[in-house]
Amino acid sequence: MASDLFYVSSQDTQYTYQDLLRLLACTDRIKKFCYAHSTYEVFTSIILSLIHNTEITLLDSDFSELELTNMGVVTSALNDTTDVKPIFYSDLSDLLHAIRSAGKWQIHLFTSGTTGIPKKIKHNLASISRSVRIAEKHKQSTWGFAYNPTHMAGIQVFFQALLNGNSIIDIFKLDRSTVFSRIEKYKITNISATPTYYRMLLPMDKTYQSIQRITSGGERFDPDLIEALQQGFPKAHFRNIYASTEAGAILESKSDVFIITDPALCKIEAGTLWIHKSVVGGFQLSGDWYDTGDLVSVLDSEPTHFRFVSRANEMINVGGYKVNPLEVESAINHHHGVIQSRVYGKQNRILGNVLIADVVTSEPISEKELRNHLSGLLQPHKIPRLINFVDEIITTRTGKVQRI
Amino acid sequence: MKVLLDIINTVRENKGFAAVSLLEESHDLRSDLGFDSLDLAELTVRIEKETGVDVFADSFVFTVGDILKKIAK
Repeated sequence: MASDLFYVSSQDTQYTYQDLLRLLACTDRIKKFCYAHSTYEVFTSIILSLIHNTEITLLDSDFSELELTNMGVVTSALNDTTDVKPIFYSDLSDLLHAIRSAGKWQIHLFTSGTTGIPKKIKHNLASISRSVRIAEKHKQSTWGFAYNPTHMAGIQVFFQALLNGNSIIDIFKLDRSTVFSRIEKYKITNISATPTYYRMLLPMDKTYQSIQRITSGGERFDPDLIEALQQGFPKAHFRNIYASTEAGAILESKSDVFIITDPALCKIEAGTLWIHKSVVGGFQLSGDWYDTGDLVSVLDSEPTHFRFVSRANEMINVGGYKVNPLEVESAINHHHGVIQSRVYGKQNRILGNVLIADVVTSEPISEKELRNHLSGLLQPHKIPRLINFVDEIITTRTGKVQRI
Repeated sequence: MKVLLDIINTVRENKGFAAVSLLEESHDLRSDLGFDSLDLAELTVRIEKETGVDVFADSFVFTVGDILKKIAK
């Protein structure tokens, strides 16, 4: 272990592994739902559920009451707790041993479902840490943490760092100069983030020699972006990951071209990528394979080389977050002056896609008023950034809204 | 400049920030105007709606001056 430092919060509060062990040794009550603003609380809630071998459900701290209700979460149960016996661990390896033997533990996450209702995904320790690599060479890593801690990508980084006893430095939602000063101060070696996050770091004015690995996921990792990042991180190896909440990390590549090396794990059929049920977290599957809904273009066969093109279903990728337009339309239509709405993505160089809404109203409503209405109902990334007030919305022959 | 000032203030007000009265070419969109990735995306679609120019189409823009150059082309 490089140091005893466990986690540094976005406000620069430092927590050591000793602090963590002390917390575990005095906690006698744990929550079933984690709906916390603080990343440290999310991390400690996960660890507490692991050592007490219980279930935990992670919720984004900015989910509104409407979103929670739509997900089937009973809001009155959010503060439910279970009494537990505090556990004392003499050192970190003692704790890590206990975590690795959490056989009954389950974690529940929500992902934007294609039908308009987010679906619940269950994982156990084996499935959620499938891509975690524990080795002597990883013990010196220091992670820059740049994901939402309640999402699959963030949880994967958390387990990779925790199980190797690494330090985790929060660099999510900070301005670029603070990110760069943290890379220098804490000698960060690994960053995993979305391309949108990396684009917000540009331009690279200086070089940062401590960075050894840059991992990207959630959206297409453009060769231009990799080239720009190489200027600032000259010693970094670049890695592009394809992952999903259902299955975690599935494929990796050095560019935006992926190769299927294990045909038992994934395949391409009818133009989309399918994942085998053996690696998909617990939810109802009709056959042996799960259709990710990600459209691909095949470049070569044996082994299959491909590139992601777009999505076959209606989900819109906004900076790595998958947004369901039906959910957004339903929140817009909730406003008493709205007759009909259509939400779609417009290609955008910064975010991948930016959300736009066309809205038909029965009375004059300002864009600002409609946005205020939505901000109480939806997470920020689900709110359309441009609202056009129109006279009519084109529907298809079956009466469905046409999304182009 | 006036068109751009109005657009920038719309984006700022949408995120609950006060309007700015003056823009300088050297103003950084992120550090001086406080825009995150969602705001920058909103800025691009609003500029495109007004001027027909997608300012981020072929490269990243960082300052008010960068945008003015793209719009002027």
